[in-house]
Amino acid sequence: MNFFAPFCIPFMVGAAVMAVALVLKYVLWIWHLPRADRKLLVSGIFTVQSIKAVGEVISESLLHRRIFKVNPLLGYMHASLAFGWFLLITVGWIETIAYLGFRYVPLQGHVFFKYFATCIAEHKPVFDFLMDLLLLIVLSGVALAWGKRLYSKAMGMRRTTKHVLGDRVALSALWFIFPARLVAESLTCAIYGGGGFLTGSISSFLAEHVSGSLLAALYEPSWWFYSSMLGIFFVALPFSRYMHIFTEIPLIFLRRYQLRPREKESSYDNFEIQACSRCGICLDPCQLQSELGINDVQSVYFLRDRRYNRLKLAVANNCLMCGRCEAKCPVGINLNSLRQNSRDTMRNIPDESRYGYLASLDRSQGEGRVGYFAGCMTLLTPRTLSAMERIFAAAGEDVWWADRNGGVCCGRPLKLSGETDSAKKMMRYNKELFYKHNITTLVTSCPICLRVFRDEYALRGIEVLHHSEYILRLMRQGRLKVDAAGGRFTYHDPCELGRGCGIYDQPRAVIEAVGELLEPKHTREDSLCCGASLANTVINDAQQLRIARSMSAEFEQTGASTVVTSCPLCKKTVARGSSLPVKDLSEVVAEHLA
Amino acid sequence: MAAIDWGFSINRPRTIDIDNNNLRKSDEILREMPELQCCIGCGACTASCTAGNLTEFNFRKVHTLVRRGEYQGAYEEMNKCMLCGKCRLLCPRGINTRGVVMLIKRKLGDF
Ligand code: SF4
Ligand code: SF4
Ligand code: SF4
Ligand code: SF4
Repeated sequence: MNFFAPFCIPFMVGAAVMAVALVLKYVLWIWHLPRADRKLLVSGIFTVQSIKAVGEVISESLLHRRIFKVNPLLGYMHASLAFGWFLLITVGWIETIAYLGFRYVPLQGHVFFKYFATCIAEHKPVFDFLMDLLLLIVLSGVALAWGKRLYSKAMGMRRTTKHVLGDRVALSALWFIFPARLVAESLTCAIYGGGGFLTGSISSFLAEHVSGSLLAALYEPSWWFYSSMLGIFFVALPFSRYMHIFTEIPLIFLRRYQLRPREKESSYDNFEIQACSRCGICLDPCQLQSELGINDVQSVYFLRDRRYNRLKLAVANNCLMCGRCEAKCPVGINLNSLRQNSRDTMRNIPDESRYGYLASLDRSQGEGRVGYFAGCMTLLTPRTLSAMERIFAAAGEDVWWADRNGGVCCGRPLKLSGETDSAKKMMRYNKELFYKHNITTLVTSCPICLRVFRDEYALRGIEVLHHSEYILRLMRQGRLKVDAAGGRFTYHDPCELGRGCGIYDQPRAVIEAVGELLEPKHTREDSLCCGASLANTVINDAQQLRIARSMSAEFEQTGASTVVTSCPLCKKTVARGSSLPVKDLSEVVAEHLA
Repeated sequence: MAAIDWGFSINRPRTIDIDNNNLRKSDEILREMPELQCCIGCGACTASCTAGNLTEFNFRKVHTLVRRGEYQGAYEEMNKCMLCGKCRLLCPRGINTRGVVMLIKRKLGDF
């Protein structure tokens, strides 16, 4: 049997271009990994992590389990395309073996088997049926994709991504591949017989209603068309969003080996950026979109712009880094870290002598193994500070006050603005200050500080606690007693505390010790951002206020009489947007000390 | 006779000649951040400033001078800011002060 026909050329060229582009990209990216990342890769490869990664590849890249969680129909669409196509290839492979035994068949022989197999007299109906079934499944996915373009709400998405030209070319080719295959195979069956329930019935319809000469004239062109669509798609793939199909696989492995985006851009970021399918799931959670109508800064656009080297500062900077999109991204891309290291690349050149004034500064006060770091924002919310004073006094704790008389910022705001190296100077200063005063516990009432203390300071020997954790611990140890005076409270999860540090339950437990807790509509992992996030230096005051108002409205709907939060910045912002009194957790506790 | 050191000083008298100052950068800055024009000079930003609490840094003074075309030293001064964001919360005109700091640094890096 001869496995070549001229119509195969577009497919063969396309497949070759794609293979070369993919191999080049991956080899280069791995080659350029920072040394530490390469070490992680080498030491991880022969561990159980690799086996786990294989499992994850099957459940995510093929079955798209996480998209199912977002919306079942959307999940089915992705899974039917990916897994359906995968099965079509695998079963097709088995089919060739079943017909021809184990012998070498070139790639195009497998792909266009129906074309080359017309000379085989015997038919294996099992395969005709299976292949038709799989084709039908994939076609249903394609139909859903069409439907999603027209009516995205059906899949739980209010908005879909606006695509660039390359994506549109690839997308159109992809949409045509399977219908083209159906037509080509049906025409072939109409002329040569055979086919399962799908191609078979279409072919008998064609054979009855279309003249033989017309069928013969359409026969070759239909295969040309199918092959061309495949070819176009394959050529476009490495340069379009469809790069995600393959990139998610190495990404899953590298992630299992503990590779992560760093505070400076690195080669690993390529894997994350190009694993984005531009599915647009990150659009709806974004409050910049839903409240302010800003629709070119969301993660999908940020990643796209960064990938094609056309990222603008105004886009990189216009994000609250609230993490709402990151929590929803089915690929699990570290969107905040990538945004932050982009900002680092685009920052102004810092002045080396910067923050020289920090040297030998120490305005701390008091003695104690427990240190309290108010943070800049808590210094602006003195009620929180005095509530903490009362709580410490009630528990009989000796406290070292790091910054009650003015201190140095924790460094996170600078980091969020991309001034990573400068932030290090503050971090070093504060760290030395903590060690100098021999504290063993560091309590802070600002989640922004907490985040950076936990994630970046590497405070060995010092336990870092948010005041909500600390207060709850005091209560459980019996050192702090509150009267259950009642009252109806609702709670706002600060982004940095909830999604940032995973602290959801502790503040709730504290509130429930005092009164009744009523949850707002968006809560815990899904909670809304107050809008004043330090990560955003683009939106103006009116826009911040609009976000604050809309998110505060949910608190009023709960019927609570007080809004509680545990971030000084959130407190100030929510208070601006809400008609209810807003209190820090520590205030509620201090007011109810028994 | 040596002056007595009271621990305080007053600003030197100075003239700002807006007619002769080159306002190109200032105009650029105000074009990108027009809200800065509604500053009432209240000084809340400076009063709350974390960096100003530790140094002589005076945010209101620096951005006011920059708007008048006095760029000398503005970059170095703005570099003292820690971007902590307190000023933004206090500004009665709701000026995006951190944005102002970053913008001035970007525009005046070479003065
Ligand atoms: S970032 Fe995640 S959620 Fe957003 S488009 Fe990419 S894959 Fe989808
Ligand atoms: S982190 Fe928040 S503000 Fe930024 S793009 Fe995601 S949802 Fe929008
Ligand atoms: S952001 Fe800068 S100018 Fe504003 S209060 Fe903080 S240190 Fe001062
Ligand atoms: S707080 Fe606002 S209005 Fe007052 S001086 Fe500062 S920038 Fe101007």
